[in-house]
Amino acid sequence: MSFFIEPVTRDSVVVQIGKALDFRNAADFKAAVQEQVRSGVRNFILDFTDTGILDSTGLGSIFSLYRQVSPMSGQVVFASVSRPVQVVVQLTRTYKVFRQFPSVDAAREGIR
Amino acid sequence: MAEHSILVVEDEHTLRRLLEYRLSKKYNVRTAANGEEALVRVSEELPDLIISDIMMPKMDGFALQASLQDRKETSVIPFIFLTAKADEQSRLKGRRTGVDDYITKPFDIDQLLARVERLLARTSHFQTQLDARIGEDFSRKLIPKQLPRVDGYKLEFHNAPREVSGGDIFDWTEVKPGVYFITIGDVMGKGLQAKVYTFSFVGYIRSMLHALLRTSDSPAEIMARINQLLVDDPPLEDSFATLLFLRWEPARNLVTYANGGHPRPVIITERGAEILSYSDIILGLDGHAEFKDTAVSIPPGAAILTYTDGLLEQQMASGEQLGEEGVIRAAGEAFGSDRPLDRIVSGVLSESAKPEFADDILLFWMEREASMATIRQTPRWFSPFGESADPK
Repeated sequence: MSFFIEPVTRDSVVVQIGKALDFRNAADFKAAVQEQVRSGVRNFILDFTDTGILDSTGLGSIFSLYRQVSPMSGQVVFASVSRPVQVVVQLTRTYKVFRQFPSVDAAREGIR
Repeated sequence: MAEHSILVVEDEHTLRRLLEYRLSKKYNVRTAANGEEALVRVSEELPDLIISDIMMPKMDGFALQASLQDRKETSVIPFIFLTAKADEQSRLKGRRTGVDDYITKPFDIDQLLARVERLLARTSHFQTQLDARIGEDFSRKLIPKQLPRVDGYKLEFHNAPREVSGGDIFDWTEVKPGVYFITIGDVMGKGLQAKVYTFSFVGYIRSMLHALLRTSDSPAEIMARINQLLVDDPPLEDSFATLLFLRWEPARNLVTYANGGHPRPVIITERGAEILSYSDIILGLDGHAEFKDTAVSIPPGAAILTYTDGLLEQQMASGEQLGEEGVIRAAGEAFGSDRPLDRIVSGVLSESAKPEFADDILLFWMEREASMATIRQTPRWFSPFGESADPK
């Protein structure tokens, strides 16, 4: 399964997370964002509009991305966070690291 | 599940295409026209099974098989010989090289498919069994065999790992007489890899605790150090864990905790159950993250419940996850029970969508006995063992 990735600027993209990011597709997510990082992308807007499931393996793959791009002044931000995702973010207190935006458009503005 | 990959080695073009066509409906098929080509294919990526002709130009099937025996990782690939040589001599030679099956041309393709299927099923069955056995072994070693025994306290522990289990942690150590450090956590990831990692992680935390406790007994300080190591140490890169440290001093009826992104504990008193709300970020993400200690005094009769996300994320019949509200309710209902954790487990399962937990769960219950005044209300002195069992 692939992830839909839409370029915003030369070094920013929106990644549509889709219905689920969990142990079944976390490796695909990693591969997809790795390719982006290799081609110079540093800022990732993760669109959680439709996301019903985010498990710890899925969250781990987002953490890996954060660990990779933050030393290069990159950002990982969350947009349009669904309730199930919000629960996980609250639990792990990761809102301290991932900025949240009410919509993808707001995130596009916010990371400029 | 990923498709099995099969390498077909056959010099005869039509037969090669036929096998490729039939097998590719179920498997990921690659082909080679002789032994030499086959070795190249194998070196590119190990197949799950090889079907090979015997009589081929350049390098024949026997030579291919012998060459695969030289390397450990290729010698274990299931191997089926396919040949027109129906004579007994080549059959014996085929047997001698240690092939798994031997099919004589002309053959029935459905029979070949059935044998391929059986061979692959057997191999993956062994793999699954092995993984499960190693995983179980780690699980058993990860979980302490006993709990601290402290007068005036009742401790309970419940652990139910699933087959494809992850990295739940529970560990305790008496750091000095009367002071206990309890570690509860969850290492991210699933399967054997997470298990192996968790195993080393627990050993790591144990040795860290012993080293750090000489200079500090603050759970938050120790948590900050472990977080830093997770972020800085290359071998631990890409590893994340939620961690809950409890420093428990029974004599003072005091628990001091630091919480790194772990599901928040519940305290249950006569007034009801409530969340111990303070917590900090998960470990391994931000090297500069700060952690804070929170002290909780435990009144007589009160209990503290800790749990892992498997409980929190259990799907209920209502369609919702259990969530913190559900945990609070279950903890409140279990309060006062002889076996509070059994009560929580059965209570949650009775309202679950399915009659079992979808994920590992690990529960820990620490209950301070009610004060002597309360105990005296029950006529304990009628018990012939009551006085001698009581240390006072």
